[in-house]
Amino acid sequence: MDEDSGYDSDDALLELDGVTKYFGQESGLLAGLEFEPNQFPPVNINRETVKAVDDVSLEIQPGETLGLVGESGCGKSTLGRTILRLLEPTDGDIYFKGENLADLGGEELRRMRSDMQMIFQDPQSSLDPRMKVGQIIEEPMRAHDMLDDEGRRARAKELLEKVGLDPRHYNRHPHAFSGGQRQRINLARALSVDPDFVVCDEPVSALDVSIQAQVLNTMESLQEEFGLTYLFIAHDLSVIRHISDRVAVMYLGHIVELAEKEELFENPQHPYTRALLDSIPVPDPRENGVRGILEGEVPSPVDPPSGCRFRTRCPRLIAPDAYDWSDEKWAQTRAFMRAVKRRSFEPMPAARIEAEFFDGDRPGGEAGSIVDEAIDLIASDGGGGDGDDESDRWAAATDLLLESFAEQSVCAHERPAYDLESEHGDGDHFAACHLHR
Amino acid sequence: MSSEPLLRVENLKTQFFTEEGTVRAVDGISFEVREGEIVGLVGESGAGKSVASMSIMGLVESPGEIVGGEITYKGETLFGLEEGPDGELRERDDMLSSEEIRTRIRGNEIAVIFQDPMESLNPVFTVGGQLREFIELNRGLPEDEARAEAIDMLREVGIPDPEERYDEYPHQFSGGMRQRVLIAMALACEPSLIIADEPTTALDVTVEGQILDLVDDLQEKYGTSFIWVTHDLGVVAEICDRVNVMYLGEIVEKAPVDDLFYDTKHPYTNALLNSIPRPDRTVTELEAIEGVMPEAISPPSGCRFHPRCPDAREVCKRAHPDAKVVADADGEPHEAACVKHDAFDAGYDQSPPLEGTAVDTGSAAVEESESELTANPAGDDSGGETRE
Repeated sequence: MDEDSGYDSDDALLELDGVTKYFGQESGLLAGLEFEPNQFPPVNINRETVKAVDDVSLEIQPGETLGLVGESGCGKSTLGRTILRLLEPTDGDIYFKGENLADLGGEELRRMRSDMQMIFQDPQSSLDPRMKVGQIIEEPMRAHDMLDDEGRRARAKELLEKVGLDPRHYNRHPHAFSGGQRQRINLARALSVDPDFVVCDEPVSALDVSIQAQVLNTMESLQEEFGLTYLFIAHDLSVIRHISDRVAVMYLGHIVELAEKEELFENPQHPYTRALLDSIPVPDPRENGVRGILEGEVPSPVDPPSGCRFRTRCPRLIAPDAYDWSDEKWAQTRAFMRAVKRRSFEPMPAARIEAEFFDGDRPGGEAGSIVDEAIDLIASDGGGGDGDDESDRWAAATDLLLESFAEQSVCAHERPAYDLESEHGDGDHFAACHLHR
Repeated sequence: MSSEPLLRVENLKTQFFTEEGTVRAVDGISFEVREGEIVGLVGESGAGKSVASMSIMGLVESPGEIVGGEITYKGETLFGLEEGPDGELRERDDMLSSEEIRTRIRGNEIAVIFQDPMESLNPVFTVGGQLREFIELNRGLPEDEARAEAIDMLREVGIPDPEERYDEYPHQFSGGMRQRVLIAMALACEPSLIIADEPTTALDVTVEGQILDLVDDLQEKYGTSFIWVTHDLGVVAEICDRVNVMYLGEIVEKAPVDDLFYDTKHPYTNALLNSIPRPDRTVTELEAIEGVMPEAISPPSGCRFHPRCPDAREVCKRAHPDAKVVADADGEPHEAACVKHDAFDAGYDQSPPLEGTAVDTGSAAVEESESELTANPAGDDSGGETRE
């Protein structure tokens, strides 16, 4: 559309540089006001922010499909919306065709939007039930002053055919279509203004498997025909593997790994990616994979862990250098530490805790004495403060273990970012894990 | 394993009487569940799998009604009809009354886990309180014992710090934790059979993995049988022993899980398997199934899958196949409802191929959309499996 921007098609179509999006948790006059009797004035203004997307940088090349995958709450949809500036980024720059979107004002941004479109998850609620399909598809063209009435009508019909619907259905309302067909209408609407870039936010996850395949196939052929670039957001790794050229994995607002599809699926380098890949049920009864390796739950994005955000659940958390560990002892201590933190076992005598977690052989040296202290606090026959509330003693043991071990690990100090050699293909492989230091 | 299965469903028919006509949601399905096994009920939305499982529990609500068939559980009749003296069908005398089903069967013998744990828990009562009440009512324990039992169950299903969390409300639990609570509730009375209706569909993959692990462990410990209702063939491959594939109210294929995947006998199952993208390998071209599932209000004549079937021939329009044993899978019957197998002897081999099948996807989709729009004014192939 606008070739006057001096954009060279060899460059990345879209470039994100440190994009960050925080949400204030509550709005309203008295939101975040807390009563603090110990100070003057006895109120505290506590504006908690949800760090939905935190310092994300990536590039999308023209004509490619970048898959963005992650679990619910990891910030993938927020990132998609921030890119289109449907949400204002808190920080960072977004370059589209070499132009910084953050610098664009209202009218320029509006014009730029004809090059960037979006498809939403729910095909039902993203179509106005009172408009006819033809109007729905023509509306973006009207908003961007494209063509005349006749031309728009012809283009809408042409698009209906392109997305696999009957052009004769131009005058029907959305309710007359099934979910898969409605998603096709969404596709037609997004394509009506001839965009270069489409953000697809879980476009097939509400559809049945057989319909999913139809829509995915249509999206692929449209990409080829119109030279589209997709940012494809999904939680389903199978769909991502099918449609993407490169894949980015998100966890708690950070990109933890980014590589070409084949490389990421065959040679994953981040423990989180591995855990995700191992957890998917494979439609093959002879495949007896491990699953459910990840314990616990995603921490709150209000107060994410320091350093590597995955470290609180990571099965390969790096041992702190301060102590002298064997791999086995560290693994046992790590399991013990997390069990205490989650209180996932019953109070029992010290000897039994030792037998259960350490095979009766505690780590030696300084680390050993810290473990001893913690066991003493929680053991049913321990001396840890009589009279004290039981949950206080557990909390004390948790703090002791976390501060002495987890917080000392390199994973807690530095945010990891490493570029690795790819084993499959020749693309870059980014992994945010200190195992590669 | 005893010769008599735990649950036997025979020729079950459940219909909904709506203003537009009669919806034959479940149309003559038969299957059985043996002790200690996980039986899958697989299909797309609208296939009738949920209605089938709710029929077993007697939870079908108006305008729906079970109109035929027989459900036998541990030798007792949960549902059965006989012909009365005036030729009308009436409920058999040996059928359990709804009172008996409510007090003896539901919860104690057969429990259900639903897809959405938030809707199954009452938001204004504490999680522990709800679990305790359930145990009190169903097992007749006094309150303090029921409370201790409830805490034990919460620990059993992997809720950390169960004593503290006993007093929390459902909204303070994450989706995976809520599903664990429902599993605890289902297990609380040590039922022999649990019907799990898409229990992991709303969960993230890593959480889904945790729940499947938990089910495996618990099943080993208690020997509970499961009916696992799902649309996800990955989950089926992971946990099911035997599988029933449903299409438009009928079971089209029934086989042990390995045979279903490696010796597929029904074109629908085959098409379903070919249409899913795989996590373990890169598939360049997905073979989509053409069209959408027709409405159960006016199912196609003959084989219900024939308008979408790549193998359909002239005979498929006329002959309606009932599932027959088409192969032997290590002593287990492998049933399929497709006339292309010799067991049917319907003249499939001599029958000419149908016009318009096996054309390329693009043009077929257009043709298909026209016919399906008229037949299916408010058709919806999107299920309840929307997730973030």
